[in-house]
Amino acid sequence: MTDPPHRILYAVIELRRLTKRYGDTLALDGLSFAVEPGHVTGFLGPNGAGKSTAMRLILGLDAPTSGQALVNGRRYALLSKPMREVGALLDAGAVHPGRSAYNQLLALARSNDITPTRVAEVLEQVGLAGVARKRVGGFSLGMKQRLGIAAALLGDPGVLIFDEPVNGLDPDGVRWIRDLMRSLAAEGRTILLSSHLMSEMALTADRIVIIGRGKLIAATTIAGLTARYPSLEDAYMSLTAGSVTNGAAR
Amino acid sequence: MKAILSSEWLKLRSLRSTYLLLGLSLGAVLIGLGLALMAADMYDSAPPERRPSARIADLEEVLVILPQLCMGILGALTMTSEYATGLIRTSLTVVPRRWPVLAAKAAVVGLLGLVVGPATVFGTYAASRWVLGDRFSGAYATALLEKLPILTAISLTVPAFALLGLGLGALFRSTAGAIALLAGLVYVIPMIIGNVPEPWSERLGSIMIGALPHQITGDGNASSVYGSLLPPAAAAAVLVAYAALPLLGATWLLRRRDA
Repeated sequence: MTDPPHRILYAVIELRRLTKRYGDTLALDGLSFAVEPGHVTGFLGPNGAGKSTAMRLILGLDAPTSGQALVNGRRYALLSKPMREVGALLDAGAVHPGRSAYNQLLALARSNDITPTRVAEVLEQVGLAGVARKRVGGFSLGMKQRLGIAAALLGDPGVLIFDEPVNGLDPDGVRWIRDLMRSLAAEGRTILLSSHLMSEMALTADRIVIIGRGKLIAATTIAGLTARYPSLEDAYMSLTAGSVTNGAAR
Repeated sequence: MKAILSSEWLKLRSLRSTYLLLGLSLGAVLIGLGLALMAADMYDSAPPERRPSARIADLEEVLVILPQLCMGILGALTMTSEYATGLIRTSLTVVPRRWPVLAAKAAVVGLLGLVVGPATVFGTYAASRWVLGDRFSGAYATALLEKLPILTAISLTVPAFALLGLGLGALFRSTAGAIALLAGLVYVIPMIIGNVPEPWSERLGSIMIGALPHQITGDGNASSVYGSLLPPAAAAAVLVAYAALPLLGATWLLRRRDA
């Protein structure tokens, strides 16, 4: 089940002048950055900055207007068993309420030739083993977040992408995610994590990418930012001051 | 492809709505049985001199609408429920080539239709035949072998509907839109076509799904409410087109649209 370590070591996300236009809206404007393995990289930006759009483009869900998004040096759409290389949680609510947690995961697992044993393993890992046969419709947002994380972990991938995974979690769950992210990074994996919770991000991430209006504002380490600003929050506020928009990109 | 097929098969059988629609489809057999019992009772209580002129509709042909609609809705839901919940983005993320997802859905709902269609049509016919015996001038007493082609042709409209529903669901990405068009094709459009001036009424009527089985078997039902202008091969091609064209269009769009 575990991938050979060399794949994890070289796992990397790379955006090259990525541009995405939806009608009149320029959601991404020549965005370039790289996410390196062995770290939790926090992905920050005001609402509508293009974080979710960037993640959708990395995962091949939307096609770029120009530029490239590469995972392990290749376009995501060219991966044949993508769950074994990239795990993603974009929207924890994106599950059929009538299906059980186990069946939801097993259906995903089967599509990438992942065994039922692994499904049981990840359910155990995220603490949902006891409710695996229950319909997802009755789950709290926190439980759905755990289910989404379980889905991302199914293929034991070297690259993990999480969009706002701490939304709706209780303090216990927030700490659990923090520890999970850090231990996944310590195993040499590449973690890209978006969140609006600055204090939480300061505790979880060691590198930070900040974007605004579809452009890169900063790509640095937490240490580099907190050396120049009183806190990550102050750094974020000051760096994104000119980029706060009220209209979401999509 | 085998992996994606088993994934889609699990998705289909892990939802209650699938069993509900299967049950409703098979309900056609029970309704047929009930109607046949009522008809037999009426026939037996009619004065003997009026019996020779008594007629009965082909129950399996009337009641096939039920499995047609149910399997069409099932086909549509397999796609539209994923759009409604957002699950489609996960499905397309784990299968980035995309078209195998739609192909696997087509295979599983098509196969289910291929089982449900004959089960309901032959089931309804068998129940009616068993109840009615040689009543109604032997309408249900013809040799089984003679009925085989038409019963088969009617049965095949059910998988065609399942694939049509899936295709419409994938095109519209909305349950309401897909089901409205599906129901429109069965009820509304044939009524409108019936009121169009000739020769267009008969021309258009001939390509309605309900008109196809008798044209496929070539037993040109003159009393048909539809038209019957098509030779068997052309009628079969039209049935295949109903199933395949929306799916092909949807596959093309699925590969190009942002998810």
